[in-house]
Amino acid sequence: MKKKTTISKRLAIGKTKNGEQKRLKGVVAGLRKNRNGLNDKIRKQKNALVKKNGELRNGAEKQVRAEEQIHIRTKAMESAVDGIFIIDAQKQDYPIIYVNQSFQKMTGYQKKEILGQNYFLLYGSEADPQVIEKIKQTIRKEKAYHGETPNYKKDGKKHWNLLRITPVQDARGAITHYVGIQTDVTMMREKQKEIDEQREELLHVTRVGKLAEFVSSLAHEISQPLTSILSYAQAAQRMLADREPKLREILSYIIDDDQRAAEVIHRLRTLLKKSKPDMKQLDINTLINDTVELITTDATVRNVDLKRDFASHLPLVTGDRVQLQQVLLNLISNSFEALESSRDVREISIRTSLQDNDTIRVEVKDTGVGLPVENIPKLFTRFFTSKPDGLGMGLSISRSIIEAHGGRLDVDNNPGSGVTAYFTIPISTKDA
Amino acid sequence: MTAHQPLIYVVDDNVSICRALKLLLQAYGFKVETFTKAADFLAYKHPRQQSCLVLDIRLPDIDGLALQEIMAKKGITIPIIFITGHGDIPMSVKTMKAGAIDFLPKPVTKMKLLNAITLAISKSQAQLKKQAEIDKIKRRVKTLSPKELEVFQLVAKGMLSKQIAYKRGTSLQTIKVHRSRVMQKMQAETVTDLIRFAQMAGLTSSQN
Ligand SMILES: Nc1ncnc2c1ncn2[C@@H]1O[C@H](COP(=O)(O)OP(=O)(O)OP(=O)(O)O)[C@@H](O)[C@H]1O
Ligand SMILES: [Mg+2]
Repeated sequence: MKKKTTISKRLAIGKTKNGEQKRLKGVVAGLRKNRNGLNDKIRKQKNALVKKNGELRNGAEKQVRAEEQIHIRTKAMESAVDGIFIIDAQKQDYPIIYVNQSFQKMTGYQKKEILGQNYFLLYGSEADPQVIEKIKQTIRKEKAYHGETPNYKKDGKKHWNLLRITPVQDARGAITHYVGIQTDVTMMREKQKEIDEQREELLHVTRVGKLAEFVSSLAHEISQPLTSILSYAQAAQRMLADREPKLREILSYIIDDDQRAAEVIHRLRTLLKKSKPDMKQLDINTLINDTVELITTDATVRNVDLKRDFASHLPLVTGDRVQLQQVLLNLISNSFEALESSRDVREISIRTSLQDNDTIRVEVKDTGVGLPVENIPKLFTRFFTSKPDGLGMGLSISRSIIEAHGGRLDVDNNPGSGVTAYFTIPISTKDA
Repeated sequence: MTAHQPLIYVVDDNVSICRALKLLLQAYGFKVETFTKAADFLAYKHPRQQSCLVLDIRLPDIDGLALQEIMAKKGITIPIIFITGHGDIPMSVKTMKAGAIDFLPKPVTKMKLLNAITLAISKSQAQLKKQAEIDKIKRRVKTLSPKELEVFQLVAKGMLSKQIAYKRGTSLQTIKVHRSRVMQKMQAETVTDLIRFAQMAGLTSSQN
């Protein structure tokens, strides 16, 4: 800039000297040419400078930005709840080269104890060698691993890990590292285990309940002919008085055996004696929720949509929790079974409502095969079943439970497809 | 007729049990009527004689417990022995509270059944005796004139002759005459007898 000004100043002075016009013209032309060249050069230099400057600035910015990014990423990895680790895949024994905070917390090892160590050593000596071998093999095949494995902390405490290990490739596709993420799923597993146990227990109680009912009905059926046989024989004995001693002897054998059979039935009955119901104040919606929670897995496996439509703020009822759960389970099982062969909508909806001032109504509605009209009068008869492996006890036992609770239970076809089973249960009278 | 031969009703929906119990009880010298429905038993005209009912607790039309209630309401006082093929303990408690003689699980042995029947028949006999007495009293009441009946009721309520005379606006003497006629006709020796007879004839409530 400065240069340019001086030259044009000089030129301006030269212009004023008249005598030398011509020669000057040549000089000027030369100068002009010169100046143009100079300007070009300057421009070029300037551009170069600007470019360089820009480049410099860009580079610096880029570097700052890159640093920021790395910082954020590291921070993010450090704050993640999951344990994150990186394994160097190019070294012989797969050493760990990075672990985040959570990883240290989960394993109980300090960073300095971990870095450089072989990843698998961290599993502890109690770890299942088969599982470890499987992970190793997957990695060696350059594949990703995904699985739930038991892990042992530094202090030997066992916990469950949901582990995912993924290969990291460089620009040429060669595997340089593995990145691993592990989540402590011990709590989830425990919760699931608890649900599974409760489900098993309810299924068991329901099955035993049905069987008990089955056997006691059977006992009744058998005790009928035993009664008449006994009475026939005792009548005959009396009629013979002291005639026909041989016949009387035979009759006494019949009576003995009859009573032996009766004794077996009597013992069976005492064995099946129901425990006293445990009546408590219950919230019916909570009870249904608890029951449904136990069978959501079954619903998923059966591809059934379990819907709930609850009236809120329902008053409490007085009932035996386990017995009422059995009723629900019996009704829902029937719906499951009715949905087995239906292809389109597979849905069970459970509704609660206030039927009137002192009654709650619970409905289990399905979109299953429905009931043939001729079966409807027989549904509550013991032993009536349309299923190859059914006992025909579910509905009759459910009805007797509900009636013992002072309610009613019935089943009917829906206007559309499927069946609705419903029961009513009286509301608790204030203080029980 | 054989008035000394007690009558046993058997109600059980199982035909074979009815037949077998009938044979057994007949062999022991009882008269037996069997029914497979509770309604048939209710429709039957029960002769007034020593009797008892052997009743299955589970019946298709009216169950045993309900039948027990209906009988109580209708004033059918025949003693009941329940038999059951189920081991219903809670039910047995209910029936016994409602006055059943016994609650026997099936198969019922002859010993247990006959013991229960003996008990039931003696209860029936006592009832019959009481009923006969009531009938006798009622027959005596029928012989009273309307005025005598009124005096009878007032005396039974515990009113003194003076009070009755004041209330009726008649002389004490007249009331005393009525009163002695009542005592005579009712064959009562004391006022206490009169009060008891009035209760038995259903002329006063037993709560005084
Ligand atoms: N939701 C339903 N849809 C269609 N049919 C049903 C439904 N619920 C019950 N039924 C019919 O009623 C019958 C009796 O049901 P119940 O639950 O008493 O016995 P079950 O299911 O056959 O055997 P289990 O004793 O194992 O329950 C069934 O066999 C079936 O024919
Ligand atoms: Mg069922």
